Amino acid sequence: MFEKLKLFKRKKQDDRTYARDNLSDLFRFKYSCFKMLLDSNAEFLKVISDIEEKLQGQQVFGMSYVRSRSAKAVFHALRMVKNLDDLSGHRYSSLFETFEKINSNINEIIKKKKEDLPSENILPYSVITAEMADWVGGKNANLGEVLNKAGLPIPNGFAVAIRAFKSFMLKTGLFDQVSKKKMEIDPDNPETLITISEDIRKLIISTKLPPELEEAIMLAYANLVESAAAINTSGSSFMVSMRSSAIGEDGELSAAGQYLSKLNVPKEQIISAYKEIAASLYTPHAISYRLNKGIRDEDIGMSVGCLQMVESVASGVMYSRNPLNLLEKNIIITAVLGLGPYAVSGVITPDSYIVDRDGQIVSAEISQKTVKLVCKPDGGLMEVLVADDFRHKPCLLPEHIRILAEYAQKLENHYGCSQDIEWALDAKGNISILQSRPLRAEQFGKTIPITPVLTAYPLLIEKGMTVSGGVGIGPAFLVASDDDLLNFPEGSVLIARHSSPKLVMAMKKAKAIVTDIGNIAGHMASLAREFAVPTIVNANVATTTIPSGMEITVDAYSGRVYQGRVTELESFQNTGQFPMKNTPVYNILREVSDWVVPLNLMDARSPNFTPASCKSLHDISRLVHEFSYSEMFQLSDFVSDRKGIAFKLKCAIPLDLYVIDLGGGLTENNQDFKDIHPDKIASVPFKALLNGILHEDFHQTQLRPIEFKGFMSVMREQMLSPPSVVERFGDRSYALISDKYLNFSSRVGYHYSILDTYCSQTVNMNYITFSFKGGAADDTRKNRRVRAIALILQASDFAVEVTGDKVDARYQKHEKTLIEQKLDMLGRLLQFTRQMDMLMTNEASVDALSKNFLAGKYNLE
Amino acid sequence: MSEPKILIVDDEKAFANNIVKLLTKRGYEATAVYDGASAVCIVDEKVFDVIILDIKMPGMDGIATLKEIKKKGIKSEIVILTGHGSIETGTEGIRLGAFDFVMKPITIDDLLDKIYQAYRRRIIEQGRTGYIPPQKKRTCT
Repeated sequence: MFEKLKLFKRKKQDDRTYARDNLSDLFRFKYSCFKMLLDSNAEFLKVISDIEEKLQGQQVFGMSYVRSRSAKAVFHALRMVKNLDDLSGHRYSSLFETFEKINSNINEIIKKKKEDLPSENILPYSVITAEMADWVGGKNANLGEVLNKAGLPIPNGFAVAIRAFKSFMLKTGLFDQVSKKKMEIDPDNPETLITISEDIRKLIISTKLPPELEEAIMLAYANLVESAAAINTSGSSFMVSMRSSAIGEDGELSAAGQYLSKLNVPKEQIISAYKEIAASLYTPHAISYRLNKGIRDEDIGMSVGCLQMVESVASGVMYSRNPLNLLEKNIIITAVLGLGPYAVSGVITPDSYIVDRDGQIVSAEISQKTVKLVCKPDGGLMEVLVADDFRHKPCLLPEHIRILAEYAQKLENHYGCSQDIEWALDAKGNISILQSRPLRAEQFGKTIPITPVLTAYPLLIEKGMTVSGGVGIGPAFLVASDDDLLNFPEGSVLIARHSSPKLVMAMKKAKAIVTDIGNIAGHMASLAREFAVPTIVNANVATTTIPSGMEITVDAYSGRVYQGRVTELESFQNTGQFPMKNTPVYNILREVSDWVVPLNLMDARSPNFTPASCKSLHDISRLVHEFSYSEMFQLSDFVSDRKGIAFKLKCAIPLDLYVIDLGGGLTENNQDFKDIHPDKIASVPFKALLNGILHEDFHQTQLRPIEFKGFMSVMREQMLSPPSVVERFGDRSYALISDKYLNFSSRVGYHYSILDTYCSQTVNMNYITFSFKGGAADDTRKNRRVRAIALILQASDFAVEVTGDKVDARYQKHEKTLIEQKLDMLGRLLQFTRQMDMLMTNEASVDALSKNFLAGKYNLE
Repeated sequence: MSEPKILIVDDEKAFANNIVKLLTKRGYEATAVYDGASAVCIVDEKVFDVIILDIKMPGMDGIATLKEIKKKGIKSEIVILTGHGSIETGTEGIRLGAFDFVMKPITIDDLLDKIYQAYRRRIIEQGRTGYIPPQKKRTCT
């Protein structure tokens, strides 16, 4: 008998395990689809902001950029569609057709632009312009632009094109060998990265260049020597500086000076220097950067600039404006004696001059210069002592400063934005530009104040977060409803509580946008950049301190809002011309972006929020993202009729709560458990919610003294309520959890609620959707209760919608800690609402109860 | 429930065999073949839940192999694994019905996760469409 019982017990346990496996497979599958979808959505949005930045026309790029970015956008949009379709059990197949239509339009545009790669391995700077970034890399293209379009001097020289690099890698078999070597990198063992990087670089340096390539480089060098012979009378060996200029998506690495450049290279070392620079594409840092970003080796390449070595008597860096104060129109010039590397490395303190727009010195700080860097006669550099007489003397004469100031302004005008410029002065007094790039003062999300606080005007907002830089001046207009958006007056400044893509309806008319809450990488942020509307989010108090009609100045460079028209900032309302605009490559990107970037589906409640209305990949991603929330939201529908698949949560208060782990939600997962203790929960969002639910103030909760009238109403409702609701949700609460995810459906008292949330380090993926419905008591009371809940949620910065006895709320794209705080609050709210509608006897109770909750008074007596 | 059946198709034998070893240790039934043509043959003989398919292989490449397998109506979930394939290959693969696209190098945990995700889809899709009978046996030439 005992044996039989044991067998029976085992069978029951097997059944339980089997059911658990089956159901958790379904949940885990849906959850993995959802996670892939969120991942792709985050990647997709990154591509969009990147394209928008390029569309401003200030940065150089080539067709390879257009191709790789659109391919990335297409891939992630498709991956989102596929995962939504899987997640929903194939209810969105029509989205594939929509996707295909848009994709084929994109392909057609890209195909139009033929691969017109040059047939030369060598291009002299005299023929290079900004749009040749694909051929000679960004740095070389920019230098050519400085010479040929901005009309300023650069050293004589030529670029060894990307084509040469590709033929070196392919003809010698290096490409395959490098690819193979890279396979040996074990991501679980980062040390392999260092040894393999070393092997690859050695391999490249020891491989002989194809003879025709070596000849072409040396011939170009000979021509350079010849053309310079007339002016070069020194008789010494003709030296060159060799500078890396990479293509591909790793522009950030180039900008950060990750690749090698070599100065004062003699003739006999040119070929080996070329190979060393090419090999610098494979430093451990560069390899891991590309692996992390999924950039393939086919898409990278190194062009090398060969320029006559300027034996500079002085060199340095200048900013066409003060990077910390855009209002200051002065130019900042720093200079050291000798060669440039010491100007940026911090080895010595450079002289620094502040110069006005006319080239007059406003102030000069002359430092003591004990050493300088000079060329060694046989190649390479050396440090020498500065003769005593020169140590305290300025590096530059007023005449040089005047010319530098003129060059800085020419470059700023040409590129349409402030510039960060490297320059060199030779012994004959000639100044050359070595590099010019945009001065990155304003960075999205990290508002570094670059304008001073102007005390003559009342400061309304001191510290918002910049989403899109610039200045906007106009009367404030508060947007609280859709009607306000429709009636938005042209030329006003839009003020709203939350950032929302719906605001785009007014965006074209708005001078600037300020929201109390918002995020820098969301849909609205991307639209604001697309329309170049100065925008500040997280201003916290804009809607409460700025009345409609007040004239204000939004300084989105520094995240500030002033009352009145700030004349000092007026000139920043428009930006200048942009060198990339209207180039053929730019126009292709513009055309492609029309199918990728615009967001037409703003309002998820609109009847047009359908697959058929999607006109861009952005529309698809928005739709898929929105639909995926509701798919996940409905997960709880699958739970109620499946018993024996979940762990019961054991806790201090009476909650019939069951937990299903989708992966990583528990500290240990033993399928034989029946019960689970709260301290075994590893899920970040569930822990936060439980923290609120188990708040000590609710531990003593007794049934509240109920007014007789209220009690009768509850009883009547119980008898009349349709059984479906009860059946669907059962009497239990369920929590589907993973390490970062929670879907919580509960029946507490007579109402039900569903909460769906993702809580991770990636702000863009985080959200809470919360829905609360029903409850005992009559309709008036139910409605009062949902309104009280809505007030609480609104005050807690949720976007809230109330229909009848249902409240829907969403809070998304916020930091992990904020999401946790809101979940804790929702936990308390769920407990608070248990008996709430019994007390909803009059209108005043709506306000009173919500105020009590917000004040932390949870005792309803 | 029998153990998940996985096929690895990769011309890098060492890599493929290593994955087979690791999967076997974790209770999977794993098989490796080293070129596309063998993959197209073996799927006629044996039913696999998940196929891991390398893109760059001599002879029939990954995309051609994927096409052939799909043409036969094989319902296995296919994960495209690539060392130097482009993201365009990923798009093409998903359009042809692949489950997902992952780039090498990949940590073994991430690869196992991906295989398990694909396997779950397979189970769920089977549940929806009913039992999938094993394919008719054919001899490879």
